[in-house]
Amino acid sequence: MKRDGVVKGFFLGLLALLFVLAVTDVSWPEGDMDPITNENVSWTMFGDSSSSGYAFVVLMIGLLLLVAILGGVFLAKEEKE
Amino acid sequence: MIPIEYWLVFSSLLFVIGAYGVLTRRNAIVVLMCIEIMLNAANINLVMFSSYHSTLHTTVDSTGQVFALFSIAIAAAEVAVGLAIILSVYRRYQTVDVDKINILRW
Repeated sequence: MKRDGVVKGFFLGLLALLFVLAVTDVSWPEGDMDPITNENVSWTMFGDSSSSGYAFVVLMIGLLLLVAILGGVFLAKEEKE
Repeated sequence: MIPIEYWLVFSSLLFVIGAYGVLTRRNAIVVLMCIEIMLNAANINLVMFSSYHSTLHTTVDSTGQVFALFSIAIAAAEVAVGLAIILSVYRRYQTVDVDKINILRW
């Protein structure tokens, strides 16, 4: 069992090495991280005067969260003997 | 500012750490936490590439950040259902060891 973990760790180490080599092999164009403000994120998410942004998606995800919470409560409630 | 390669290596390592936990740990709650770690690695990539794209094209495009927020919300829904399932399984079998819970196999 312990040997199994070591083998998995070895292969995942190889995968990590592959990721690192792939990232460092690419010559990324010059560019820094752009300081995007919370305001920009809010405009994209909820829209501004010209567009509605992702407001509908936000509503749908809110609905999904509600359903997930209800499902979680239903699954976790104690059964009566 | 931190170069993009550093972020990519960081998220790759985070992903591999999560995958290692999923493959080797037997506690279902730890497995769920490791899945969240893998998801966070993907979120870091979303935010990072969005920011990088904005810089390269000299525009302010925060779609990646918004997608990361959506991803976090969906992860929250997944955790709510996952924990409820684990709780239910624990009540039934008195264990959360994923090797001992094999009733879903068939």
